[in-house]
Amino acid sequence: MNPDVVAGIARLRREGILSTEQAALFSRVARRELVSIRVEIRGLLYLGVLLLTSGVGIFVVEHHADIGRSAIAGSIAVASAACLAWVIRTAPPFSWDGVESPNVAFDYVLLLGLLLFASDLAYVEAQFTLLGPRWVHHLLVVASLYVIAAYRWDSRVMLSLGLSTLAAWRGVSVSEMARSLEAGDAGELRVNAVVLGLLYVIAAVLSIRLDRKAHFEEIFGNAGLLFLFGGLVSGVVLSELGWGIWLVALLVVAAVVMWIASRVGRPAYFAEAVLAAYAGLVRLLVASFGDQSTGVPLLLAALLGVGALVLVFAAYRRMPGR
Amino acid sequence: MRPESIAWERAAAVRAAADGWRRAEAIGAPTHEAIRNAYSDPCITPSAVWRALTAVMVTAVVLCTFGAFALAIRPREIGLGLLLWLFGAACVVATELLEVSPRFARRGAAGAAAFWGILLFVGGLGLLLREILAIPGEDALRLFLLTGALTWAAACWRWGSPLFAGLSVASFFVLLAQMPFGRVLWIVVGVVLAGVAARCLDDGALAPSHRRAAMVVLLAAVAAIYVALNIYSLDHHLLQTLRPSAPQRVVPSVIVFAGAAAATAVLPIAVLAWGWRSRRTALLDAGIVLVALSLVTLRYYVHLAPLWAVLLVSGAALVALALAVERALRRVPDGEQAGFTTEALFSDDRGQKVLQVVAVAGTFTPAAAAAAPAERSFVPGGGASGGAGASGKF
Repeated sequence: MNPDVVAGIARLRREGILSTEQAALFSRVARRELVSIRVEIRGLLYLGVLLLTSGVGIFVVEHHADIGRSAIAGSIAVASAACLAWVIRTAPPFSWDGVESPNVAFDYVLLLGLLLFASDLAYVEAQFTLLGPRWVHHLLVVASLYVIAAYRWDSRVMLSLGLSTLAAWRGVSVSEMARSLEAGDAGELRVNAVVLGLLYVIAAVLSIRLDRKAHFEEIFGNAGLLFLFGGLVSGVVLSELGWGIWLVALLVVAAVVMWIASRVGRPAYFAEAVLAAYAGLVRLLVASFGDQSTGVPLLLAALLGVGALVLVFAAYRRMPGR
Repeated sequence: MRPESIAWERAAAVRAAADGWRRAEAIGAPTHEAIRNAYSDPCITPSAVWRALTAVMVTAVVLCTFGAFALAIRPREIGLGLLLWLFGAACVVATELLEVSPRFARRGAAGAAAFWGILLFVGGLGLLLREILAIPGEDALRLFLLTGALTWAAACWRWGSPLFAGLSVASFFVLLAQMPFGRVLWIVVGVVLAGVAARCLDDGALAPSHRRAAMVVLLAAVAAIYVALNIYSLDHHLLQTLRPSAPQRVVPSVIVFAGAAAATAVLPIAVLAWGWRSRRTALLDAGIVLVALSLVTLRYYVHLAPLWAVLLVSGAALVALALAVERALRRVPDGEQAGFTTEALFSDDRGQKVLQVVAVAGTFTPAAAAAAPAERSFVPGGGASGGAGASGKF
């Protein structure tokens, strides 16, 4: 029970602000006589899909020799097709606007079907070497499928998975951004991250401008800025030579993003830009002082933090729809 | 908490509920406006993104300033401890100043300053206790943990942060683990704390943030009871690892093992039943997590089937259970059964959707191609947890 809300509803009813019916319904929820378990159902579905795909994976690894390659590929394909058939049968018609899912399970059955398909594709590629030396490109196929499915069935979950899989194809990991940008050819990976980030940001802008799945803008935008700033910050912090150029690029991009975010009311974009710019400027402070033991760079970093706080408070005051 | 802060919190709770009613279009704009006027809240309350950004920047300012002073002065350990106290005191003063201002009380700065104030104080105490040779090591650790528990509790009482309540309870249970019969103390104190916290959850005399803190204490107490009773924890002496200088470990008797096995099975069901009866989703969630942990424990001791079969069956069972519950609730009149529904009601599920997206992208994304081994490889289903990845030899 939320006693403050219960008391508030009683007062609002007494003062005639709420009708009897409204007060009765709101009071039931505030007293916990009616509780939503939507989050719990989603949690169970997520956990179920996680366990199922993990179980399929271990089964394939342990038993592929006993059962046979074709039988395994075929059975995973059947399971995937069953999930996708249910999705196709249940799905509402396509629209470029947001489409409400027909039920809580829809997104997760779609996710399970596509993950099984992706597993099957990876297995087939590993066993039958369809793509030969370009086997890594199966990630491109999977990512494209995820994105197409996201648009067809209006799934933010599939879009985010599609974008992160596309990044994985280019060698950039979402969950281990810093480590993946140090692995292999760091310079090439950084460029990949920056280019992908720019492409996603352009997709975000186009989603709004063309009014095509405009609600996907946040997914495109946040993923794009994560890759863009991740690439730029790693260039500033990790590269030995030419970090100044990366810093200039980082500051310019951060300034532009902050300005646009302040105008269109996107606090997450603004926050990402502030943090990235701060990281870049701290690198400049550290590099500018040969003797790190004086504490002056840290004091300046603290003052820079105060400046960032002032900027944050000012931007909050001016941001529309904050 | 200051009476003004409590009043602001109570008004904010009603306004937040009204925002939910408006979002669900259960009330019109004029009614919404009338409610906001009836419950005026002078505080500026930015969204979670703004608050997190502010807290991060405050953290950077505090730590960089402390680091700069420490480097400039280069004190010895006692001096460093005193410097930590000085900075802790400065943070506490800053928190008090921020808390009285409606413009700054809820912007993330006060919470971050309070957190660092207490942490620096406790850190300074730890350094000083290490230097005072008159106090033996074990006693110093106990004094450190006790002071930490009390300080976090006082901070929670003063500023109302549920996080501080969690840190206080965690410190307290680690302290109990240092005592003889630590496992028994975890169970007894856990039961007492859970009972007290459960009584506070709906107590209108408490501030809303203190009620949230009570929920954190309740969940921490349930977790502590479960850890103390779990058979794996007993078998592997998990609690004793918190007390490095503990006397020789004694192998528990068969009766104790049997009791722990029974408790591992019963406690999650009891928590689930409590959550179901009281319709508290936090307890339901805790019950689900404990059931999962107990099933993992069962699988550890009893090999019912190969791992892949256990994962497939449990995954399918979870999906089937979720679908059955959802379908059952959707088909009854008004979509409501025993006080439960799958409707979002008046909650704002934007945050949940973000969590959903982050969780799926974080766990199912395949490993990055360049980081993977050069040879052909296969990972089923997703990334580390299964997917069309490119890592793990096949």
